[in-house]
Amino acid sequence: ECEITLKSSDTHPDGYPTVEAVKAMGEALKTSSDGRICIEIFASAQLGEEKDTIEQTQFGVIDLNRVSLGPFNNIVPETQVPSLPYIFRSVDHMHTVMDGPVGDEILAAFAGADLVGLTFYDGGSRSFYNSEKPITSMADMAGMKFRVMQSDMFVDMVSALGANATPMPYGEVYSSIQTGVIDGAENNWPSYDTSGHFEVAKYYTLDQHLIVPEVLVMSKISWDKLSPEDQALVKQAAKDSTPVMRDLWQAQEKASEDKIRAAGVEIVTDIDKTPFIEAMVPVYEKYVTDDKLKSMVERIQATE
Amino acid sequence: MKNVALATGLLARLALWIAGIGLVLMTVIIAAQVVFRYLLNSSLIWSEPASVMIMGWFIFLGAAVGIREGYHLSFDILLYVLPEKAKLFLHTVSDLVVAGFGAGMVWFGWELAEKTSGNMVPSLGISGAFDFIPIVGGGVLVVLFSIERVARRAAGLPTARFGDDADIEA
Amino acid sequence: MELWVLFGTFVVLLLIGTPVAFCLGVSSFATIVYLGLPPVVVFQRLNSGVSVFALMAIPFFIFAGDLMVRGDIARRLVALAGAMVGHLRGGLGQVNVLASVMFGGVSGSAAADASAVGGLMVPQMKERGYGVDYAVNLTVVGSIIALLIPPSHNMIIYSISAGGKISIADLFTAGIIPGAILALSLMTAAYFVARKRGYPTEPFPGLRALGHIFLSAVPGLILVAIIFGGVRSGIFTASESSNIAVVYALLVTLLVYRTLSWHDFIEATFAAVRTTAMVLMVIGCAAAFGWLLAYTRVPAAMVSALQGVSDNPIVILLLMNVMLLILGTFMDMSPLIVITTPIFLPVAVAFGIDPVHFGVILILNLGIGLCTPPVGAVLFVGCAVGRIPISEAMKSIWPFYGAAFATLMAVTYIPALSLWLPALFH
Ligand code: NA
Ligand code: NA
Repeated sequence: ECEITLKSSDTHPDGYPTVEAVKAMGEALKTSSDGRICIEIFASAQLGEEKDTIEQTQFGVIDLNRVSLGPFNNIVPETQVPSLPYIFRSVDHMHTVMDGPVGDEILAAFAGADLVGLTFYDGGSRSFYNSEKPITSMADMAGMKFRVMQSDMFVDMVSALGANATPMPYGEVYSSIQTGVIDGAENNWPSYDTSGHFEVAKYYTLDQHLIVPEVLVMSKISWDKLSPEDQALVKQAAKDSTPVMRDLWQAQEKASEDKIRAAGVEIVTDIDKTPFIEAMVPVYEKYVTDDKLKSMVERIQATE
Repeated sequence: MKNVALATGLLARLALWIAGIGLVLMTVIIAAQVVFRYLLNSSLIWSEPASVMIMGWFIFLGAAVGIREGYHLSFDILLYVLPEKAKLFLHTVSDLVVAGFGAGMVWFGWELAEKTSGNMVPSLGISGAFDFIPIVGGGVLVVLFSIERVARRAAGLPTARFGDDADIEA
Repeated sequence: MELWVLFGTFVVLLLIGTPVAFCLGVSSFATIVYLGLPPVVVFQRLNSGVSVFALMAIPFFIFAGDLMVRGDIARRLVALAGAMVGHLRGGLGQVNVLASVMFGGVSGSAAADASAVGGLMVPQMKERGYGVDYAVNLTVVGSIIALLIPPSHNMIIYSISAGGKISIADLFTAGIIPGAILALSLMTAAYFVARKRGYPTEPFPGLRALGHIFLSAVPGLILVAIIFGGVRSGIFTASESSNIAVVYALLVTLLVYRTLSWHDFIEATFAAVRTTAMVLMVIGCAAAFGWLLAYTRVPAAMVSALQGVSDNPIVILLLMNVMLLILGTFMDMSPLIVITTPIFLPVAVAFGIDPVHFGVILILNLGIGLCTPPVGAVLFVGCAVGRIPISEAMKSIWPFYGAAFATLMAVTYIPALSLWLPALFH
């Protein structure tokens, strides 16, 4: 019997890489604690959507929570930096940064929100897809309508690229593209695949505007109940689950990419991203306001 | 007691008017969203969060008025077979329980508002506390109207009973 | 033990007459306190539970239905039904059922349907020598059709209770054939009862008159087409379609029919506020209740318990139908959808039942519950409209219960009745 059972929330369903990674973490933790500490997972948003489960984690009702950075942008300002468009040059660049001192700094910043940042997971890289034409330059974006999440930064990013941003629930995107209410949307390979959007939006431009990691946090209240030794065990098990998650994610991404390519989607890979990045200057000016965040941006850009 | 009942009656009427205006406002906002998205080929960024917030207002205000007017869904089969005295006693217990829950809406709604007051609601640019103001406002009225029911009963005045209204929606 | 606190508090409060919404909220509160967790979670769930964009379709559909009753759209639909099937055996009884099909298609609410159709049909039927019990029974059971034929705000409640991942367009489409079957079974039952009682038929008004009546009902029929076409084609979301229904109903009644007064408009608004606040408060409190069910892993326990009973989906479906029918006898529909969906849907899915199919079963089953005492909103409305005691309606309602139950069995065991039509659209 487990002495301590940590309840862990995820909005993704069972079998999704993040859920599997936390399962792996649970097994590792059980072994390292000689069977004393276990993890119980509530997948598929059983305990609520991310905004709600974050609050519940702060209250100490949920012990562990796998969340996107988006809902944290207003609560932990440091999370805005890796959420900036075109901040990372590639997935490898993102890994290097988040595994390094900047990543540690962001994890530490969760303390200000009664949370303990444990580790980062991959959220994939998001690119634009549409039903109209292959986008090869910024000029192609002009006047096109893209669905975005209800987020100010997404709206500002799409506007800065010269397109129209349309906030809309995810479930309505498919038929809206089909009926021409919008021209396209933006997402990563697996979502582009599982949503079926590739069936109606056959042009995918790999501009990788967002490579935003996700985060595993722990409730400060639950954390403080653990002995320092157990805290170290939890921290270590979380860190060790990240490579597991990344492998699963890459396999999933590869499978989706193969399926989508086989379906005859036209994929644009070789675009010059420089004008896209230059167009982000006003967005950076709006969201990167204090010196701390500015220095973080500079350090990320300087990271090889 | 008569004067108090008059005052709470006015308050309920006011709440109903605010809720009604909220429903009409919601209708206008979503109609505008449809017009912008389909006819003008652009989008209202704020229409969804704004109308959802208005919906919160009209639900919690409407639910509070429902206590005074007695139009909530309930199950009163046991009450049919009980003597009048026991019935009145149980009604009072029930009203006090509801008042307690209303107090919870105020207390914990306020706690949530305080906790989120530093956050921004996306696309509206207002404090996250506004998300929880409706539950606090509705809670205040729930407490008031529940206590009014208990007081009316004690004073021998009639109270609307839950389930009295045949015009219940499925 | 925590489940005893949760369900115990709920049942006790329910029995002493506390409104269902508060039974759910207070029992969640008691359980959270018992578990030693911060009670603020209950109020967070309540607030999030009602802050869902898709829920907005509910006030709009209810608002639109009310405007149609007050603005004469409903009466014209009933007149059309009369011209179409009044000459069949059972005359106005057949009209009553068809009127439920047409008006229920726009209002989306069984109780709105019962009050609108009943208000128009029962007095007419009484005058023409039909038994009031017959008129009331047909109105009551017939209004279940409204739940199945799109739009149905209960389908939206189901989709949201299931986590918002079931397509509302698919649910709407899936209800059409079961709704039609229910209408046909009720018309058949109406035929036999009418023959036994020797009820009259109405003369067929002739094609020309039918044409006139049809034209005058066209604006109402267009509304059905807009709502269903908009949601199905994906051009509009359910919330947007329901909004268009309100705007359209206003335009028709203000500009075309010129039947809606300023006073009617205000009364319709208040009526929609009252009904919606009542329904959505239940949904919000059930979100807290549902959170506790998930937290205490009730759905998982339920799945394994039922798996222990049988591994045959036919038996499991029968068991769930019986449990829902019993629950539906005692409670109203929207709270039952929000409470039972998180528990029963995982069971159904574990037994390979399609969530859309299960949704139709659930709605039809709980719809029958609306017509059964002791708690049956539609039965109350029907009896109130006909001014007869519930006991009198109950004496002769059995053929119509029988028709509804036969439809439920057909819909339960023939998945294609629900799933064939939505599949055509994919
Ligand atoms: Na309907
Ligand atoms: Na019932």
